[in-house]
Amino acid sequence: MAAEFHLEVLASDRVFYAGPCENVTIPALDGELGILAGHSELVTAIDPGMIRFQVPGEPEQRIGAVGAGFAHVNRDRVWILVETAERPEEIDENRARRAYEEAQEELRQRKSMQEYQITQRNLARAMNRLKVKRGERF
Amino acid sequence: MANAREIKSRIKSVQDTKKITTAMYLIASTRLRKAKLSLDDTRPYFNTLQTALSRLIRHMPEVESIYLGTGNYNDDGVMRRGYLVITADKGLAGAYNNNIQKEVLRQIKAMAGPWELYVVGECGRQFFQHHGYKIEETFHYTAQNPTIDRARHIASVLLERYRTGALDEIYIAYTDMENSVTATPRVFKLAPLEKGYFRPLEMDEDGYGESCEFMPSLTELVNRLIPDIIAGYIYSALVDSYCAEQNARMMAMDAANRNAEEMLAELSVSYNRMRQAAITQEITEVSGGARAQKQKQVS
Repeated sequence: MAAEFHLEVLASDRVFYAGPCENVTIPALDGELGILAGHSELVTAIDPGMIRFQVPGEPEQRIGAVGAGFAHVNRDRVWILVETAERPEEIDENRARRAYEEAQEELRQRKSMQEYQITQRNLARAMNRLKVKRGERF
Repeated sequence: MANAREIKSRIKSVQDTKKITTAMYLIASTRLRKAKLSLDDTRPYFNTLQTALSRLIRHMPEVESIYLGTGNYNDDGVMRRGYLVITADKGLAGAYNNNIQKEVLRQIKAMAGPWELYVVGECGRQFFQHHGYKIEETFHYTAQNPTIDRARHIASVLLERYRTGALDEIYIAYTDMENSVTATPRVFKLAPLEKGYFRPLEMDEDGYGESCEFMPSLTELVNRLIPDIIAGYIYSALVDSYCAEQNARMMAMDAANRNAEEMLAELSVSYNRMRQAAITQEITEVSGGARAQKQKQVS
């Protein structure tokens, strides 16, 4: 059995997961980053993407779609703070696809820099939701 | 003195008004409870966020960030201040709206230099417009139902102005509900954040070790985290104000209920007196008439 550490995934509107964990994979800025117990100290920003973590005693990893945020790794504790976190079964595929298409269309229009950035972020979120819903791995 | 029917219709109208104020009292109390719950849901996130940022700043106190008032800070001697004012969408909440508006006006007048107003809530918008203050932007959907997304939107609008140098300081004016009786209007500086805002670390927490890795750089991380903290502060201020608003409304409606009861008591006394007078008069008339008939028969 693998060593355990304490994992907290905190979304801005709720606590997504808090409890023991054997390993966790997070979407860091330059690709996925796997963390096991006893990892060296680390603070890293997170891009919208998928997190996977193994809860001890469960047959499969749990997965979730997360928004931007950051992770903070200590020797025996990992905090992941993200703006949103959703389980695949909570994602409404139709809504995500609609958001995706809307964002795509909006990107084609000429808009202010601020609106452009907002649309880009919306697009990233929608794409990420769709990916997690369909169970694709990156 | 009014006649009995007039008093009766007055009683009816007071009773109807009392029904409305009672309903508003109940609605305000459930909304207050709901808002408090949603605030509790977000507490763990923001507390951890704040601790994390405190650690980062402690790890490297000389970190430069425009959000901390260091780094490439625009310094041309003119202080452009932005005020985010949180008011209610409706009145009928005692002095709630009035207090916060007065506080903002006092602040604006107290300091020299240009200012911009950003208003949440219909009441505040109407007040400032009516008194001839220019409003930069209104977020008129937010007071009723504060959510973190809306707080983030407000934060992004304000910080965009801050980053481009159009504003040098951002303040938020909101009402803090200290307990169920007192609520105080407060003005807090959102940007640049003062380092004193970050709470000192507890005894059992320690800063990062020498070997700690930062990805991307520490400065980059701080710059990414602070907008979130500001959004979080705006959100909690929105909820705090909303709680204070509902609380003020509860108290106002409670007072209205009590006044209505007092009026009803007074009115029913004068109604009864009036009725009694009418009955007495009728009896006098009947008995007077009967006596007259008797005297006629006798004679």
